Amino acid sequence: MTGLPDRLTRPLIDENPITLQILGICSALAVTTTLATALTMSLALTVVISLSATLISMIRNHIPHSVRLIIQITIISALVIVMDGLLRAFAYEMSQRLSVFVGLIVTNCLVMGRAEAFAMRHPPGESFLDALGNGLGYSLILIVVGTLREGLGLGTILGVPLAPMLGLDGFTTLALMQRAPAAFFILGLLIWAIRAWRPAQVERPEYQLSSEEEDA
Amino acid sequence: MIAIRQPWQVTFAVTLALLPPVLTMLDRNGNAALRVLVTALVVSLIWELIFTRARRQPPSWHGIATALIVSVMAPTDLPLWHLALALSFGIVIGEQVFGGRGFGFLNAAAVSLAFLIFAFPGTVLPEPGPDLGYATLPGLALLLALGLVFWRVLVALAIGLIAGFAVVNGTAPEPETFLAALFAATFLVADPVASAATQAGRWLYGIVAGLLAAFFSATGLASAVVFAALLAGLVAPLIDDIVIRARTGRRSARG
Repeated sequence: MTGLPDRLTRPLIDENPITLQILGICSALAVTTTLATALTMSLALTVVISLSATLISMIRNHIPHSVRLIIQITIISALVIVMDGLLRAFAYEMSQRLSVFVGLIVTNCLVMGRAEAFAMRHPPGESFLDALGNGLGYSLILIVVGTLREGLGLGTILGVPLAPMLGLDGFTTLALMQRAPAAFFILGLLIWAIRAWRPAQVERPEYQLSSEEEDA
Repeated sequence: MIAIRQPWQVTFAVTLALLPPVLTMLDRNGNAALRVLVTALVVSLIWELIFTRARRQPPSWHGIATALIVSVMAPTDLPLWHLALALSFGIVIGEQVFGGRGFGFLNAAAVSLAFLIFAFPGTVLPEPGPDLGYATLPGLALLLALGLVFWRVLVALAIGLIAGFAVVNGTAPEPETFLAALFAATFLVADPVASAATQAGRWLYGIVAGLLAAFFSATGLASAVVFAALLAGLVAPLIDDIVIRARTGRRSARG
């Protein structure tokens, strides 16, 4: 039996939605060109996933099985619309930079996945912690990727130039970091590092070298 | 004919083939070229050492060949940390993540050079002269004799270049163009790891690389061949798959 605090901490590294389950990749790639967008997206997703999981868990015993997905999406999209509206009202510029990606939280596999796989079968408190943990796990990866991409690609962190702070005068930024492939590379290296650290996450190989080739 | 059996023999043969071009480059650029060469060698050997140690594999020296190819093609005035980063990327992401030389499907030098151009947009690869082409010839002969370069790829590459230039410029390429492209063609495009592995696939792979190089040539021949090698290397496994499917399909239809 998994304890309540574990529900919150396990999705951070051990069951991280991005690096272990490889979910929510599209938004992780799209919004990490700067740390500010990554942070905003993380906040929006964490709020939506925590609230939707709690709400769905509260009414889970009243949801007819055949229409459960429709009800889940209705709740999630209502929360996303509120989130999107709040962003437009109080951080208009940021909502422009995030363009469609806040709206697309509706279809984020992560949010749907926690609702369907966890909140439908667990009480609200546990569901809330599980969803919050997953939201924070997602945020953790986005923040790491966003920091690296902004720092190396633009030479700034949250818009503050880094080079004068570190005393590096001749620093040329890596234009590659601002392009989509860089997010793939960083994510791949991150997954590599985590799996080297936690070998339990390594997947079983689909193919084996024949013993003959290994001996040669 | 001498049979190649051990990985170090491949490394030795390719390094030997690279010596005349490297000497040409050193002769032309002097000390500036030397510092690029030394940095490249140190960086690639360190990565190979780290990975072979971590995987308890026998030591591999193929990083020498990768370093030599990159230092012949890279600009000599680039900041050394650009070079070190690009080579690290090429060797780790292009080769070692797959298990080392021979386990991947891309040429580490091509990945390094492409990274250099993409990551630092100011980087322009120097245009190779005919002297580099002449210096490549003895090594090319050696590698052809040892079966480490496939003539089908090179002939197909030439056909692709001619066809591509005919489409883009409406004329055939100058003979100097072939000579200038020969170094990159031999060591990047015709690399057995990056090339297609089936006979028919090698023709197709070479033509794809030649066409791409011609289409990209407006921005400089050197970078055009680098990107052509990279993209053709990416589709080489697909080409092989199509060739094998077509052949086994035909066979099973007959049987």
